[in-house]
Amino acid sequence: MLLFRVHLLLFSLLLAPMAIAQVQLGDTAYSISLHAGYGHNLTYGSMANFDIDAFMPINQHFEMQANVRMSTANVHTMGVQLRPKFALPVGEMYIEDRLMARFVARDQVNEFLHAISLGYRMQYVNVQFGLINRVMMPLPYERNTLDKYIVEPFQLLYRVEGFVRPVTSPWNIAIAISNADNYMIERPWTPMLYLGGWYDVNEHWRVRLSGKYKNAGMFHMNAHYYAAEVRVGGEYRF
Amino acid sequence: MKNIYIYLGSLFLVLGSIFTACGPDARLDLVGNIIGSAPRTDVRFADSEKYNAEHPFVTIKAPVENYRVYVCTDTHITTDFYNWQNFIRAYRADLLCPVALHLGDIVDASNHYPDVVNSFNEVPSNPLKPDTIMLVAGNHDICFKQWDEYLENFKTSVYYFIVETPLGQKDLFIMYDSADGTLGKKQLQWMRNTLEWASKQNFRHIVAGSHTHFFMRDNSQGIATNYPIEETYTLLRLFQSHGVDILFTGHSHSREVTLFDELTCIIVDSMTDEDKKPAYLIAIMGETIDYEFVNLPIKL
Repeated sequence: MLLFRVHLLLFSLLLAPMAIAQVQLGDTAYSISLHAGYGHNLTYGSMANFDIDAFMPINQHFEMQANVRMSTANVHTMGVQLRPKFALPVGEMYIEDRLMARFVARDQVNEFLHAISLGYRMQYVNVQFGLINRVMMPLPYERNTLDKYIVEPFQLLYRVEGFVRPVTSPWNIAIAISNADNYMIERPWTPMLYLGGWYDVNEHWRVRLSGKYKNAGMFHMNAHYYAAEVRVGGEYRF
Repeated sequence: MKNIYIYLGSLFLVLGSIFTACGPDARLDLVGNIIGSAPRTDVRFADSEKYNAEHPFVTIKAPVENYRVYVCTDTHITTDFYNWQNFIRAYRADLLCPVALHLGDIVDASNHYPDVVNSFNEVPSNPLKPDTIMLVAGNHDICFKQWDEYLENFKTSVYYFIVETPLGQKDLFIMYDSADGTLGKKQLQWMRNTLEWASKQNFRHIVAGSHTHFFMRDNSQGIATNYPIEETYTLLRLFQSHGVDILFTGHSHSREVTLFDELTCIIVDSMTDEDKKPAYLIAIMGETIDYEFVNLPIKL
């Protein structure tokens, strides 16, 4: 248990100085972004979210991304994404290894996710498919034994994203469907819809606005509003 | 690699369902999958509460201290009800069983509620014991705009009842509506209030029953949807922290027993006539709750 806590601490320290950015073809600048958002769902009610994200294109074959979310719903998330990438005659292929820890303090549950996916991105489209491994761990740790860890292995991860202009444009609008974002990963049968855009104020500053909508009961034959979120923020590109 | 094939297969199933959902014998409600055609959870909860207000929750007398509760789910009745009638015969024959539970998806698609009622009435009742079966709605029971028909036949989908033993020990059974994968705001508050009240009473056991299951531990559930992840944790912790001993669900058609902290979550097998291993569960309500799965004979 002590070893686990040390790992958790190291993981936290690794993420602490980092922050986020939406990743796309042609991103070659290190960046940090801050977002604030309003969220609502039928279980928690209203909440405010604060996101810090970092994007690090280490070299032309490898990039990293780190995300932190603090929420007034008392659910906090840290994640890191490692992304080897390979240029193709058209577009770019990438492998994404994603680790995420979600601390659902309000319900005394920790959730750990690991996802590996294969993606292909071009000027107008980004497509990604992979597998997720989810571990649920009720708190406090002292009460747990191994048989109380719940593992949900090998769920599908997907993201299909389209842009109205080339991704290198100074402004753009994007629409996406996915069961995963930087702060949570849903079961495959709960897709989330995204609509967002950005505007480059100057060489260094970019403003972002995005929204998310989530249903309950899709593929349950009784789809039903469950959650929505709006976030706005700025990104500084070094 | 096996999982990739399974998911690709599932995607084809989804696409297939889109095409098959439009025919006269449709089993999957395409419109419901995308925008929902049944009344929202809060509306259904209000309908259930309206009935509950006029019909107070019941107390059922158990014949012995260690009585038995028969639990079945996912009968998906069409014009076939072989397993359903075998289940009815079994619980009616058991003199130690004061109540049986059906956890939803009693019908498969539209126009089969009369088949449910007729098949139930065809099985002779047992004059030596009361005949009580408690139901909740599953997603198949309300798709294709069937909620009104469900209400007409079964009256409510959110309620609790108490079973009292000869020595005065009481067990609480909470049945709730998860037919669209969320309890919604009002029913969740009802659940909080009910559990707050229950945890201050001196119940021997608290049992919860509903249709939708919590976990996705393997690929057996196919394309059946769970709760959103936020609601999954909130409900699990709510049940666990208020002393719910056991939670019975269906929906995935695949038997599963999971221990979340101190809460036992059981998915009961389906009882469709096409099922190769139809089964139900018998819970033995003593000082502890024991259970056994009972396989049904396969329809030849």
